[in-house]
Amino acid sequence: MKIPSLLATMTSVMLAGGAFAADDAIRIGVPVGLSGANSVVAPSVVQSAELAVEEINAAGGVLGRPLELVIADDASGAAGAQKAFDSLVFQKEVDVLISMETSAARNAGLPIVSKGKVPYIYTSFYEGRSCNPYLFVDAWVPEQQVPPIVDYLKAEGAKKYFLIGSDYAFGRGMLEFARSYVESTGGEVVGEEYLPMDGTDWTAIISKLKASGAEAMITSTAGGAPNVTLTKQLRGAGVDLPYANLAVDEGTAKSMGADAAGILISASYVTGIDSAENKAFLDAMTAKFGDELRTPNDLSVPQYEAVYLYKAAVEKAGSTDAKAVLDVLDEVSFTGPRGSIQMSKQHHAPLTMYLGQVQEDGSVVVVETFKDVDPGEQCPKL
Amino acid sequence: MTLLLDIVTTAAILFIVSAGLLAIFGVLEIVNFAHGAWLTVGAYCAVVTGGLGLNPWLALPLAFVTGAVLGGVTERLIVRPLYARPLDAILATWGLGIVIGQLITLWFGRDVQFTENLLSGTFHMFGTSYSIYRIFALAAAVAIGLGFAFLLEGTRLGLSARAIIMNEALARALGLDTTRVRLVTFMIGTGLTALAGVLLTPLTSVDPTMGVSWLIGSFMLVMVAGSSFGALAVACLVFGGAQVLVSTFISPILGGITVAVLCALVLRISSKGFARV
Amino acid sequence: MSDTLATSLPRSAAVRRRAAILGVLAVAALALVIFGPMFLDRFSVNVLTRSMIYAILAITVDLLWGFTGILTFGQAAFFGIGAYATAMLLTHIGSSPTLIGVALVLAILVPVVLGVIVGWLSFYYGSTPIYATVISLVFPIVVTQLIYSGGTLTGSSSGMVGYFGLPFGLEGFFRLSGISLVIVAVGALIFVRSDSGRILTAIRDNETRCAYLGLNTQRIKILLTAVLAGVAGLAGFLYANASGVVAPENTSFVFGTELVVWTALGGRGTVLGPVLGTIGIDYLSANLSGELPFLWQLIIGALFVVMIIFLPNGLAALVSRLTRRGRGEVVAEAGPVLVPEAPLHHMTAVDGPLLSIDKLEKSYGSQKVLEDITLDVAPGELVSLVGPNGAGKTTMMRCLTDGKESSGGVIRIAGQNIAGMVPNQIVALGVGRKFQVASVFESLTVSECLRMARAALEAPSFVSASDKLRLPSAAIEILQLTGLDKLLSTEVSLLSHGQKQSLELAMVVALEPRMILLDEPTAGLTKAERTTIGTILKKLTNELGFAAILVEHDLDFVRDISSRIVVLHQGRLVLDGSVDEVVNSDIVKTIYSGGEHV
Repeated sequence: MKIPSLLATMTSVMLAGGAFAADDAIRIGVPVGLSGANSVVAPSVVQSAELAVEEINAAGGVLGRPLELVIADDASGAAGAQKAFDSLVFQKEVDVLISMETSAARNAGLPIVSKGKVPYIYTSFYEGRSCNPYLFVDAWVPEQQVPPIVDYLKAEGAKKYFLIGSDYAFGRGMLEFARSYVESTGGEVVGEEYLPMDGTDWTAIISKLKASGAEAMITSTAGGAPNVTLTKQLRGAGVDLPYANLAVDEGTAKSMGADAAGILISASYVTGIDSAENKAFLDAMTAKFGDELRTPNDLSVPQYEAVYLYKAAVEKAGSTDAKAVLDVLDEVSFTGPRGSIQMSKQHHAPLTMYLGQVQEDGSVVVVETFKDVDPGEQCPKL
Repeated sequence: MTLLLDIVTTAAILFIVSAGLLAIFGVLEIVNFAHGAWLTVGAYCAVVTGGLGLNPWLALPLAFVTGAVLGGVTERLIVRPLYARPLDAILATWGLGIVIGQLITLWFGRDVQFTENLLSGTFHMFGTSYSIYRIFALAAAVAIGLGFAFLLEGTRLGLSARAIIMNEALARALGLDTTRVRLVTFMIGTGLTALAGVLLTPLTSVDPTMGVSWLIGSFMLVMVAGSSFGALAVACLVFGGAQVLVSTFISPILGGITVAVLCALVLRISSKGFARV
Repeated sequence: MSDTLATSLPRSAAVRRRAAILGVLAVAALALVIFGPMFLDRFSVNVLTRSMIYAILAITVDLLWGFTGILTFGQAAFFGIGAYATAMLLTHIGSSPTLIGVALVLAILVPVVLGVIVGWLSFYYGSTPIYATVISLVFPIVVTQLIYSGGTLTGSSSGMVGYFGLPFGLEGFFRLSGISLVIVAVGALIFVRSDSGRILTAIRDNETRCAYLGLNTQRIKILLTAVLAGVAGLAGFLYANASGVVAPENTSFVFGTELVVWTALGGRGTVLGPVLGTIGIDYLSANLSGELPFLWQLIIGALFVVMIIFLPNGLAALVSRLTRRGRGEVVAEAGPVLVPEAPLHHMTAVDGPLLSIDKLEKSYGSQKVLEDITLDVAPGELVSLVGPNGAGKTTMMRCLTDGKESSGGVIRIAGQNIAGMVPNQIVALGVGRKFQVASVFESLTVSECLRMARAALEAPSFVSASDKLRLPSAAIEILQLTGLDKLLSTEVSLLSHGQKQSLELAMVVALEPRMILLDEPTAGLTKAERTTIGTILKKLTNELGFAAILVEHDLDFVRDISSRIVVLHQGRLVLDGSVDEVVNSDIVKTIYSGGEHV
């Protein structure tokens, strides 16, 4: 055997994990924020994608072909995303993109997706109304997430709300919707304040909150650091109002220790969902990753399900041809840890939402369940 | 009342964060752009202390020593060749900051880390409740300020440092070991910065990039303060106060850039800043 | 005196050869970017398009930092503003060929206007280099924050996407970016080698000297900032079109630091180094960072630190050190031809004394360094200022050339009160100052230094390096007397101490001043050099009608050349008279014998 071909064989074996020859693999591109702001959750997203691919390949692949993941770092931002999308679409020539990313990264990637004509399933909750023929979303938008929280707080007797966010598209988008929803249900917003994304000093805002007479607060800070900083300073200042956080995940809640106790979250996935699918999923994750396991969350589970949704679409279309897959992607459904998911509504998905409360040990207990919440009019033109 | 406390404690926190940078800039006339990285190193000392199950207060001495030792190595290897090239020193220390940040990431991961609170609870006074920890931060700032005053006025090292600030060539001619004074000053500066990192843990998230957001603010304050701790205290009060006032009465977003913009304008009007205070 | 001095190699031939090399390189680069897309895969085409746009930015960073010594993190902000101006216009108003044209104009114009403002903030008389760097940090932070706060107008954190720009495909944008890069790079190379371009290096080397050659360095730096802001804005326009998306991180100071890192690694002060550094690193990182994001940054960071410490001029310097003879080692070509020129400036006669000092006072706090100094100097006089150390001689020289120095009294030069004037304005009145320690431009050649002295009088070319150097005959004579006329292409750092002193004197005389101030021009010189300088000074004053004020310790030298001597002691003028009067006075003997009993 000549050396170059030996090398090629070795590489292909490595890439395919040894199970199949790589030539006919269906390649799934995963641009994700391995560095930058999203790098806290990105590993969990990669893990759940790996599990989905392993399960599907173990069961014979898709149309007899194995799946193969191609991961690329988008550095959680636009510039990195361009590199990642360029690489995946034009260099690695993937058949589909499935990823959880920041809105900036998604927006940066979309023109490349359009040029490359590749289906793109976006698996992160976001501020909504991103529309593109190639883009499908299987995570929640404000219309699905905010109402459960406000309804719950209202039932608890809160009339006056204080809104706190990070100054970016998601933070503002969420709170804008929250304000209109609060007002439409008879509540009153007594304050709405934002801090820059990298801001660390919430002092003035907390003092305003304490002086406002608010009965509940809703926050939508950037994931990770700003969440932790705000919560630490809130607790330090002795704020113990009902506290709903629109952007905290279970992993981050854990790193705050006792400070996070009592926080209300609204999500399409929490680990405490009591279903056979979720139990099987968690067991499989634990078995596959052991000590390395990153807590599955509302960003990683949609990623897992999206791989299965793509599988279903390819099987229905009978090929990986982009147009054929896009045509049927809104017709297929998959029942996963979050329940039955179908991206039928203007490229978005109706979802069951769970209202959870963080406990002293960082775990999340489901307080209330809201079935099949509609994403509303996201992309009426599609 | 709350407003007043907000102003004073904000100034105190700014002072704690900037003091180490000032020590280095004042004596060495080098801007340590790895300042943020040292804050991060300090905060991770708190993480390690917690991980070992030790009393969280032990993180303070641990951070000081770690910061000082790493600072010593840095001074010797990176800063010393660049005293004559202050702009290059900014760049080299910025690069060092990247390296430290990535090393922490590789070692501890990107995640936000859990740290034990040093002090929690609130304090009731004049009809308002206020964070005990912020009051403690105020005390810590005063302690650091007094400590430096003593160090500068009451010790040989302080005398040497002041001599170097005034006239380095003369100091060397008089037989002062300026190389050693620079080394020790740098170590004290970085040790103090790491200590400040621990003091920040109850207030902010602990992650590999946590230091960067403090860098610009403290950098600007130090530029305004020059080489005087008194001036730094005044600068922290004035600009920290302005930040709180702008955040409270106009917008916290503008508040976030208040310190940087005001400092720049002050320097434009009077290039010596508050150094004469 | 001969007009054409002997030359070993015709300078114009060397210039032509250099131009030819540049031309060949430019054509080759153009061919590369035009035919490149045929051989590259789509991924590389896409990535390189962006890298080449970034390389344009790196050139602007290099001109500011590598050549002029202004460390800036702010180019990212100008770039982002250009990109945002384009994207916002095309998103909110619409897209048509006309609007794209408008976007192009705005993308350049808005950064230029902001560049003027940032420049005004950064550069003023007495501003420090660190301060300019500080502003270059604050500016992108403010811009980024404004974008975050801009809501749908700016797209906030999500950036802007989905607008329609220039209707080119991948290859089209590759070629457009490539051609733009080649044009900017060639333009930059021509500019930095031109006579004007050398001013940047002169500012980096010795800004004080530039000011004392009558150059308004602050205005030059503001102009440079504004023009390069426009170039960065143009790059932003290209980027917004080629990538189809703009985001806040395009304006951030972190991107600004990345540009500096690329420039440093490529080799500052070389134009081509930063271009290659940027394209190389950006392309590599697109290929590698996906697999090892943290390690990649770690490597870049570590490399950067090592580079700054051990190889501050980057890889390009290493390459040129290995492949080319250093610039100063061998003088391969003669300098420009020296052309004597009759003085053209300051020809108007002055009524009354050239310099008139009335009750000058200078104090630091409560300590008076100068007090009640009154003195007139007429054309043709050579006045020596003597007195023991600390008498205030150098302070007085400073007061005469910087209108912000004195604390009281009035100084008039050619009848004009100089209060509040900065050095370059005073130089324009016809004053030349020679410093105690030779103040020249270490990395320029002798002829370039001399050209700097003429730059304020006759605007130097932006495109070419002239092969003629017009100087007053007196300056040429100094060069001939000291042998510097044979060393015109030699780098100043290679000159001896005495040669540098002579060069500085020649530069001061080249300013065509009416009055020259000299601070210990003979310190550290040999006997022969001293005699030469003395001869020159006498000629300048006796024959050419210059006024000269000389601070000097060497009393023999003073006696030989002065027409008048002024004695300063403890900040006061104690004696003012002819050489004989002063030398034989008891006061001088007392002061110089160390006694304090005046």
